[in-house]
Amino acid sequence: MLGIFLSLLVLQDGLSVEQFEKLHPELQPPKDEAWLSVPWKISLLEARELAAAQKKPIMIWSMDGNPLGAG
Amino acid sequence: MSVFSDPDVIALLQTRFVPVAVDNHHIEKQRDPEGDFYRKVASHQGEYICTPEGKLLGSTNTHSAEHLKGLLQKALKEFQPSEASPAASGAPDPRFNRPLPEQGLVVNVTTKVLGGYPATEDRRVRIFQQSLGRDHLWLEKEDVQSLVEGRISDRLRNRIACYHLVDNTRGEPPFWSRGEIKKLEMTLSEGVLKGKVHLESASGDRGFTADLLGFVAVKDGKVARFDLVARGEAWGAGRYNGGQPPGKYPLGLAFTLAEPKGDADRVLPQGACRGNFAGYFGP
Repeated sequence: MLGIFLSLLVLQDGLSVEQFEKLHPELQPPKDEAWLSVPWKISLLEARELAAAQKKPIMIWSMDGNPLGAG
Repeated sequence: MSVFSDPDVIALLQTRFVPVAVDNHHIEKQRDPEGDFYRKVASHQGEYICTPEGKLLGSTNTHSAEHLKGLLQKALKEFQPSEASPAASGAPDPRFNRPLPEQGLVVNVTTKVLGGYPATEDRRVRIFQQSLGRDHLWLEKEDVQSLVEGRISDRLRNRIACYHLVDNTRGEPPFWSRGEIKKLEMTLSEGVLKGKVHLESASGDRGFTADLLGFVAVKDGKVARFDLVARGEAWGAGRYNGGQPPGKYPLGLAFTLAEPKGDADRVLPQGACRGNFAGYFGP
């Protein structure tokens, strides 16, 4: 604990713990986002196999950068 | 409301379709059965509805939930289930496919512009201005081991700086090359991760200077916490993430240890896409 305290003392010229504790939660995505309740697959082949087994059509959402969270 | 926030669209996708999200830029180049199937039904960004055999039932690239809902309903009327099984699959193209590292970790990375945009009445522009960029930082076994030992490895430090300290809130950002790292201090001591970075292009037209503070906890030999914040001033943009605030603007990033539950948590980091495995996981 003393080590952590001393480490934090020298952070005066950077981010403070208070700033961290304010910013980190502010930068989180909202909980229970509706679009993430969709059971997205990320493999088109797995989707195709599942669709054939369940006798359903496939809906492909295609973006430059995977829309589920890379860019 | 975005297309995939519409309750009717969500209900249709949850019950009547198999939904899949892909990186167009990535999959269209794959020389494997997945790439072949994609090219059969799709060609660029958008929404495509098809049968498991590869018959296209409809496509669009829309911001209208009503339009997409109509297309989904029309496709359901036309869809004729087949008894045929999909063709046998072959090996995935190794240039574009990489599973989650064994004994590795996933850290969610979120990014937000914290100010500096001029006021706008344009709803679509406002959505981009308020959007949260998302990516995943992948840690391999040796990265995890370094954290367990109470240090941060050079390769992890470089990976965070080059591939994750970027503004991805409006589109795909350019990543930083090693030569664009003007300053990179990142140390882990007594569970406190702190640092300073100065990243800047050779011409000076893009840059990011930031302070970092985070906390790493290890329990029973495993990383139990990896929370980090980077906050600083960014300027400039690349070809695909323009529309940034004028001049220097405040940018914040949060890193949060994730517990992959579903496919959405296993999306390859953007910096490792396009087959850049050697660069992303390099020293």
